[in-house]
Amino acid sequence: MKKNKSGLVMLGIVVLLYAVLFSLNADKTLMALKESLGVLKMIIPILVLVLTLTALLNTFIDEKSISRHLGEESGLKGWLLALIGGILSHGPGYVWYPMLQNLRERGAKDGLIGAFIYARAVKIPWIPLMIAYFGWTFTVVYTVYVVLGAWVQGVLLGRWMALSKDDIKIHHQDKSSKE
Amino acid sequence: MLQKLKSALKNAAKTLYVISPMLLAVIGLVGLFKTFVTPQMLHTLFNGSALHDMLMGVGFGGVSVGQPFLSYIIGGELLDEGASFYGVTAFILAFVTLGVVQLPMEFSIFGFRFTLARNLLSLIFAFLLSVAITVTLRLFV
Repeated sequence: MKKNKSGLVMLGIVVLLYAVLFSLNADKTLMALKESLGVLKMIIPILVLVLTLTALLNTFIDEKSISRHLGEESGLKGWLLALIGGILSHGPGYVWYPMLQNLRERGAKDGLIGAFIYARAVKIPWIPLMIAYFGWTFTVVYTVYVVLGAWVQGVLLGRWMALSKDDIKIHHQDKSSKE
Repeated sequence: MLQKLKSALKNAAKTLYVISPMLLAVIGLVGLFKTFVTPQMLHTLFNGSALHDMLMGVGFGGVSVGQPFLSYIIGGELLDEGASFYGVTAFILAFVTLGVVQLPMEFSIFGFRFTLARNLLSLIFAFLLSVAITVTLRLFV
């Protein structure tokens, strides 16, 4: 709901901007409006496709089943699941943070959490839009490198955190003393 | 399953409703951007030099907030206006993997060390991956 509000505020600002610019330079502002309508027209079919994909993801992939298999001692399977989970997770990142921290506290590897978060840079529902703007080649190369990058970053993050396990213990104590 | 799909479609429609003001606002801005911001102006921001473009991309991407598709739209326009793939890729990556605005929240949930490590690594990776992606792309084009 809060997000909805920020969108409305933003829209209000843009409308105001148009009004001000119209009074300064009417012709150019009308041209801008025409450009915007052109962009809107191009986006609409893609938007419909994206929302359908989102609905399908919501129907066939249950968030709980993603979280269940991200646990520790998972080896290669854990990495695969972290990467796939990150790719499939939708919505803003901070929605996933409490769940990820919960997994971490129950022994999930830090590296897996890091890989999950980075793999979110691949957004399957938005892939048609990425292809429309940047082409197939870019989209494939980008996706491959992000997944590879997420894995490498997860490994590095795991090593980094292993150097400083005390920090987590302190953080846990902080949390439990507050509760 | 059909029931589930139905409610999922309903949710998708709701999502569209929720994002539509922001979407319209951004599209409106893109129109203004295309009309009022000349390629010359953009060239001063994204001048085609790899390092410069990447720094701009990571900077703007890191402070921007919003749905990831916004970064595709803005990135696509930047590319049209002559920005390099280095800068545009860095922008898209930073947009999704770095969030200055949500940093306080990340700190409070994951703790200091994890958040610091993750964000520093993501910052470095935005540069590394932008170079890797652009160089690989050149092999195909």
